[in-house]
Amino acid sequence: MNARALLLILTFVVSHGTRAEAGVMERLRGLFSLGGGKSKTEETKKSMPRIRVGPFSGGTGSSAQQTLHKELLDSREFFVAGADEKADFLVEGTSSGGRVTGKLKDAKGKDLFQRSYAAPGLDENLKALTDDIIYTITGRPGLATSRIVFVSDVSGKRQIYICDAEGGEVHQVTHDKHAAVAPSLSPDSSMIAFTSYRTGFPIIRLLDLNVGWERGVTDTPGSSFGSAFSPDGTHLAAVMSFIGNPEIFVSDLNTNTAACVSDSVGAPSSPSWHPDGRQLVFSSDDGDGPKLYVVEVPQKEGESSRLFRWRTGYHFCTDPEWSPDGRHIAFTTRTSGEWTVAIKPYPNGGVRVVQAGGAEHPSWSPNGHFITYVLHGELFVHDLRSGNRRSILRGYGHISEPRWMR
Amino acid sequence: MNAALPMMKRPAAILSSALVGCLLLASCSSIPMPSFLRNPASEAVVYALGPREGFTSPLNGSLKPACPALVFENANFQLTSAHQQALNSLAQEMGKNKKARLLVAGYTAPNLPADHARSLSERRSLAVRQRLIELGLEAAGVQTVGYGNDFSPSGPSSDVVVIYRQN
Repeated sequence: MNARALLLILTFVVSHGTRAEAGVMERLRGLFSLGGGKSKTEETKKSMPRIRVGPFSGGTGSSAQQTLHKELLDSREFFVAGADEKADFLVEGTSSGGRVTGKLKDAKGKDLFQRSYAAPGLDENLKALTDDIIYTITGRPGLATSRIVFVSDVSGKRQIYICDAEGGEVHQVTHDKHAAVAPSLSPDSSMIAFTSYRTGFPIIRLLDLNVGWERGVTDTPGSSFGSAFSPDGTHLAAVMSFIGNPEIFVSDLNTNTAACVSDSVGAPSSPSWHPDGRQLVFSSDDGDGPKLYVVEVPQKEGESSRLFRWRTGYHFCTDPEWSPDGRHIAFTTRTSGEWTVAIKPYPNGGVRVVQAGGAEHPSWSPNGHFITYVLHGELFVHDLRSGNRRSILRGYGHISEPRWMR
Repeated sequence: MNAALPMMKRPAAILSSALVGCLLLASCSSIPMPSFLRNPASEAVVYALGPREGFTSPLNGSLKPACPALVFENANFQLTSAHQQALNSLAQEMGKNKKARLLVAGYTAPNLPADHARSLSERRSLAVRQRLIELGLEAAGVQTVGYGNDFSPSGPSSDVVVIYRQN
């Protein structure tokens, strides 16, 4: 069957709503500090934007100033200047009762933004301010408020959990009868798509973390798994097998329609979107081990698209994920009989082994500076600039399939 | 005048050449492709799965296997001669009971990457289903599921396809 020519209208099952755990909606707290800060050279510091934290007035102003200074330092995006040092940017504001108003100015005194943060805790308000400062100055998202979803069997069954970028504030988000696996966070971090076994068969469901409701996306015969949100959050790529062959489908979450974009005779898995939303990379095993393929996603019905193998130089490649800037792909491969996380520039370039010895299932941080992966059941964060890695969650059952918020 | 004659005759020559070419091409389509050039995978008729209503998952109840589990020695989905023999026997047995339904459930070894394992196990199940249909079973009576390494079947090997009989 030529599946690429097939446009199928699926019946999407709206299942009964289920309350999610209330704790998930709480903002995450904790500090993000990775090893390797001391290895920074003076040259790197000089090339970084220089920022100074000015006075914060109000009852909690002094505490806000100190905590913001630490948050900016831990972000490793800036050289945080002292009171008498020259700076490119100045942040100041007010803080009363945990609420924060921050104002960012450039060296000429021009206001870049002024925003108020009124979440229940001072720390979470300052994390949000830190991420806004990072995004305004660097154009990259900060990690202070970012989250990682993963699977753990700590409860006895595989369920989905969420934590902050330092492995803190861990919350269980699914309580499925049998198991819930393969999570993917929406770009705004408000929803999780995952594979649920609650019916006894693998189906894809969506969980809204803000409202707490769940709904089914697919309940087609065969198996559905490996979901991935498109960069704009309107589409979901996933593997479905109801046509008699496992294929990659792209579902429009607004119109509840799906189109097949692959043409496989084998076993495709793990689709991941290019940040432009026009290409997918996925793994497919046609009988001689999984390889990586790239397919263009048709933007309208009937549009032709290219599907080609993307060669990495390795025979066994799975779990590909495109970097946030679309210039690299991270994937799991096998070296010396052990799982290895590697990255390769897209479309061409040499492979860089990030971590061997059992590391698998890589996922990029939103700013592209870090990769999270699983090594012997522990959750690691790896700094791609310094090469330092750190276990951020251990002793929490066997952890698998981590995905960082995009 | 003489020089213009070939020019006048050329359209007729082109037309007749095209006609001969078309006839040749039409005749070529009836010539069988040499077997070594054929791609069996692309020629096979793939049977879409029917509705799953009424099928019970092995996760929700104790199901009886219809035959011994099919063990896959390597991490692939091709059926071996041992698999074919087991499926032939099952198809013969099932031929007596036309209304019987089967759930083909795939599993993989625990050391494979999780999402690849799900796809591989589903692909194995579909290969078994395809063969059962080719052996005469009704497509609507055979469903598949791929559990990857999310669940393990009872038995010595987890790298198997288990065919469960449905009530």
